[in-house]
Amino acid sequence: MKNRTHPFLILVLLFVSHFSTNAQDLLKKLDKEHKDTPQYKIATFKTTRIGLGHSIETRKKGTLEISLYNRYWDKPNTQSQRFLADEVNTRYGLSYSFSNDFTVGFGYANFDKISDGFIKYKLVKQRVHDKKSPLSITLVQSLSHRKFDNANTNLYSPSSSENKYSFTTQALIARKFSPELSLQISPSFVYRASSNNNNNPNAQFAIGFGGRHKINTHTSIVSEYFYVVNPVKSIDTFNSFLIGINWEVSDLMLQFHLTNARNFAEDTFITETANNFNFKDPNLHFGFNATFILHTKKRTFK
Amino acid sequence: MNKRLLLLLLSFFATHLTNAQDEFIARQGQVSFFSYASVENIEAQNNQVLSILDVANKKIAVSMLMRAFVFKKDLMYEHFNESYVESDIYPKATFEGNIIDFDTKASNQVKIIEGNLNIHGITKKTNLKATISKDENAYLITGEFVVLVNDFDIKIPPVLTSNIAKSITLKFTFQYQPYEE
Repeated sequence: MKNRTHPFLILVLLFVSHFSTNAQDLLKKLDKEHKDTPQYKIATFKTTRIGLGHSIETRKKGTLEISLYNRYWDKPNTQSQRFLADEVNTRYGLSYSFSNDFTVGFGYANFDKISDGFIKYKLVKQRVHDKKSPLSITLVQSLSHRKFDNANTNLYSPSSSENKYSFTTQALIARKFSPELSLQISPSFVYRASSNNNNNPNAQFAIGFGGRHKINTHTSIVSEYFYVVNPVKSIDTFNSFLIGINWEVSDLMLQFHLTNARNFAEDTFITETANNFNFKDPNLHFGFNATFILHTKKRTFK
Repeated sequence: MNKRLLLLLLSFFATHLTNAQDEFIARQGQVSFFSYASVENIEAQNNQVLSILDVANKKIAVSMLMRAFVFKKDLMYEHFNESYVESDIYPKATFEGNIIDFDTKASNQVKIIEGNLNIHGITKKTNLKATISKDENAYLITGEFVVLVNDFDIKIPPVLTSNIAKSITLKFTFQYQPYEE
């Protein structure tokens, strides 16, 4: 009996396989044909800044980013007649991507009169379906310059030069966990030639935590926090925090946020944020960033 | 009993083999799409589209990776994949269909293909007209049709409705060679 049911089973199986190969499996055949070329994750973040600091993203070759970053805040106990906010700090920025992985940029902020420049290089790219490359890593080196008169005089020694510089080196490490969620950790090193009069460190270490969560296809909630390991001693500083919304409108990226950071240069917002994050004047800063993306090179089709 | 079974087995194998010979594949098919909108025209090309043509059963299947589309502007590529077709979640677009009244001997024919188009995880019944030409042991299929963005649950935010057309024109060209596994 057992020996007789066996061939019937084979027959049934054959029928099934025969019909399925005819109908459905053209697409399955095509699935096998798809090439296994490595694919990289795109848009871990949609903007080259999460909010305060850089994100791992760089623009593609030949892209010019024109940016306008603003922070607005109120001054306490003043008879101000201003509409909206008493004070504003605006950074005018330009950056250009020489290759898909390498970007150079500079900017000038009008309130603290700091000029800054940076180079940014995408070192490692996260891959799709590949455990060998689960992360993206981008290196950023930035430099900021201010005249001694405009600098926080506690921090810089008056002696040598009128021109005061700070240097910030960052390794940005990010992973896109899902289409919605991306997280970034940014170990940062800030160097500044300090005044000899106090015990401020010349070299400061900080670590940044940032993330975005998409709430729909064009909008995401972002947050960032920088923890400073060895803060300066001569002035009270606080770790900078930001929460906001990033909104993509075609070639224009808009960012709205609340933060306690007033400055834009990396060294200043990481190590010199002089107010805590709360809703009292002048601690609360409303930020509005607009970035326009211009393609200087366009592909042509035959 | 055993002999009969063997015969049956053989006949099955035989039909399997003939099926294989009736199949043709296009590995570098071209699909391009156009969106004509008041703010800007968007054009994209995919030159790595796969298609298989089953002449005996008059069937055709197409499969393509959304990430393989190339745009004039790199930002469009990012937005297309990230914000519109969500290629992280739906990496492929596919089509499966029957060629109505397909004549295996005709060297040139215009036929209707009835099938299911799957984009952005949504399957929609689609009929399209295609020109099929035969040259010895190769086939060339070309055509053009229009899809509505709305049919595939691709959301365009209200502020961007003037940037992206509601109907997208798709053009395709497939050059088929005999299929060998």
